[in-house]
Amino acid sequence: MRFIPALMTGKAAGFAAGLIDKNRGTNLAGKAAMKIDAEMLSHFKGIDPKKVLFITGTNGKSTTNNMINHLLRSKGFRVVSNIEGANLITGIATALIKASTASGRVDADYYVFETDERYLYRIREQLPAANLLITNLQKDQVQRNGDPSYISRKIAKVINDFGFRLFLNADEPRSASFAPMAEDTVFYGVEKNSLSFTKDESFVTMPCPKCHHRIVFDYYNNDGLGSYHCANCGYSRTEPDYKVKDADFDAGTFRIGETDFSMHHRLPYMLYNYASAVAVCKELAGMSEAECAEALRDFRNVGGRVDSIDYNGQHINYMRFKQENPETLQNFINMIADDPKEKVVVIGFGTVNEFDPHYLNSFYAFDCDYSGLIGSNVSKYIFVTDTIAYDAANSFIYGGVDPDKVEILPTGDEEEILRAITSTGCDNVYLTIELHRFEKMKAFAEKGGVL
Amino acid sequence: MIRTAWMYPDTLYLHGERGTVMALERMAAAMGAEMKTDKIDLGAGYFDPMDYEILFYGPGEIPSFEAVIKEISAYRERLREFVESGRVLLVTGSSVGMFCRSVGLFGDGKAADGSRRISGLGLIPADALEREYVFGDDELIDAVYNGRQMELLGNQIQMLDIYTDESEGFGSFGRVRYGRGNNGVDGSEGMICKNSVFTNMTGPLLVGNPWLTEEMIRCAAEASGIKLPQNESAAPDRDHDLEKKSLELKKAFIKEKAAHGE
Repeated sequence: MRFIPALMTGKAAGFAAGLIDKNRGTNLAGKAAMKIDAEMLSHFKGIDPKKVLFITGTNGKSTTNNMINHLLRSKGFRVVSNIEGANLITGIATALIKASTASGRVDADYYVFETDERYLYRIREQLPAANLLITNLQKDQVQRNGDPSYISRKIAKVINDFGFRLFLNADEPRSASFAPMAEDTVFYGVEKNSLSFTKDESFVTMPCPKCHHRIVFDYYNNDGLGSYHCANCGYSRTEPDYKVKDADFDAGTFRIGETDFSMHHRLPYMLYNYASAVAVCKELAGMSEAECAEALRDFRNVGGRVDSIDYNGQHINYMRFKQENPETLQNFINMIADDPKEKVVVIGFGTVNEFDPHYLNSFYAFDCDYSGLIGSNVSKYIFVTDTIAYDAANSFIYGGVDPDKVEILPTGDEEEILRAITSTGCDNVYLTIELHRFEKMKAFAEKGGVL
Repeated sequence: MIRTAWMYPDTLYLHGERGTVMALERMAAAMGAEMKTDKIDLGAGYFDPMDYEILFYGPGEIPSFEAVIKEISAYRERLREFVESGRVLLVTGSSVGMFCRSVGLFGDGKAADGSRRISGLGLIPADALEREYVFGDDELIDAVYNGRQMELLGNQIQMLDIYTDESEGFGSFGRVRYGRGNNGVDGSEGMICKNSVFTNMTGPLLVGNPWLTEEMIRCAAEASGIKLPQNESAAPDRDHDLEKKSLELKKAFIKEKAAHGE
């Protein structure tokens, strides 16, 4: 009874939001509609659960969603998706409201939704889906998630209660451990490559999801991902059904099966997105590896983590990292370490302000390995932001960075930070800072702002 | 030589606790003491706490609790002797729950509070109850350790609340000035007995609070009859300039959010 009024309200809200700003309102329609019909996802008609895929996990959800959408659409499939990235139930409602007729009928070939790990149960309660892709389960948003097992237990309950065909990352112990819970599992992974690495004994790993003893990583392709085995119970990596092999980061190529692929994004963690997207598109939509390879030639990840600013003859490489998430910080460190040229590194950890209460957390920095930085020709480190610049600097010093190369600038003022960068005179700069601060710096530089 | 055991680091490791071990090693070196740290794996077999001066248990995932409690139970009485001897036992974050008398875990709905109760190690006079929602925030406390008054600032990622009885030689480790503490009700933070500390503060606690690290090294040395150099407090790198500046910056942030009712 409430569905149609909710749908109409949602459509009107979505239309109004689109008039104001096409980039906004990715969950506004769903929010408005679900105030009227809180169960509205279950009332859409025409959705075949076998064609529905949920993508969840800690890192890589949005990129994987973008990539799968790109592949399916390249083949002419009609896809309904929350590609704009609103991954709560209201974001999914928004996508369905937009795609549906006035009676709530949806007619698409596939439904691909990025879903927040914590809200997966509620979403699945309303929207039947036969397919679930889990990218990885790592430390993230500890203020609300506590530890990876907290999310892992929530996902396990969803799988147990509803059942799915699972697409699992074979190289990540926690999510791979869900396999026995499903009748049908597709594993994807990445073979050892030139950027694979090991960590010395001073780093710990994680508890085995089966017996809680030590997991040993034979090598990592990315932090927390690689080939592993449990030292106690023997739980180990399963050979992937879809695996990226022969990755060549200089040439920008890799292979899946016998098919050659090119990669625009030459970053180790992107290989997992490529592998999972190909696995889904072949298993769910019957696309061949060759079709995927052709379509991926022109894939560009919109809203990715990497960007740059050119200002006053300086090239500032920006990489966004997720606060409270050591893996994304490690990716930034690795990116710097791979560049042998002289460089300045600017680090801006900020206040964690996604949820209340806002708080100060830099402890994930102690999960990272800084050894690659030490010999990578960094002439100076500048630590900024007005809350934890000192803590951030201290964690890098503990990691082996020379204190004499460290400057601490406890400010969040974007122009002041740019001024400090300019004063170094170094034309090769690496910056990580909260996105809104970077955007202000970029806008200032693009407008030709003078310091 | 001060001997430190980092207990079950691959199982009890959530929030950069590696920093706390590094802080102990750096501080010991700065104070002129030799330190050796052993990692003790879960399932490593015979373990005697009295072979060490410092034991460190970081926070762990709740599903690991029963396996770890079973392991520690084998040397529980020696652990009690360790605490009584004045050596330094440091337990942080969720792992405090394992040292309580009982831990209430949500899941089976067997107890009146909706939890399934498991037996803890019973080393501290307290009970733990898993929280329905994780609580994360900064925490600022006043504490006295080894006779030295200090303010300590860290983070809480609270998976379990702790309800304590101040008995059996145990008292509150600190009083909360900002944060949740043991349970958000009684203003207490953690527990202390002699030189052993059980605290909800997690992460690299001893990095940001070097004044506590110093005292722990002194206690460990004293308990084992290790003489620190007479001029140890005058050694270089002991002004803690960076940590003091960090503390002031963070206290200003906390003051502001407290003023806004957060």
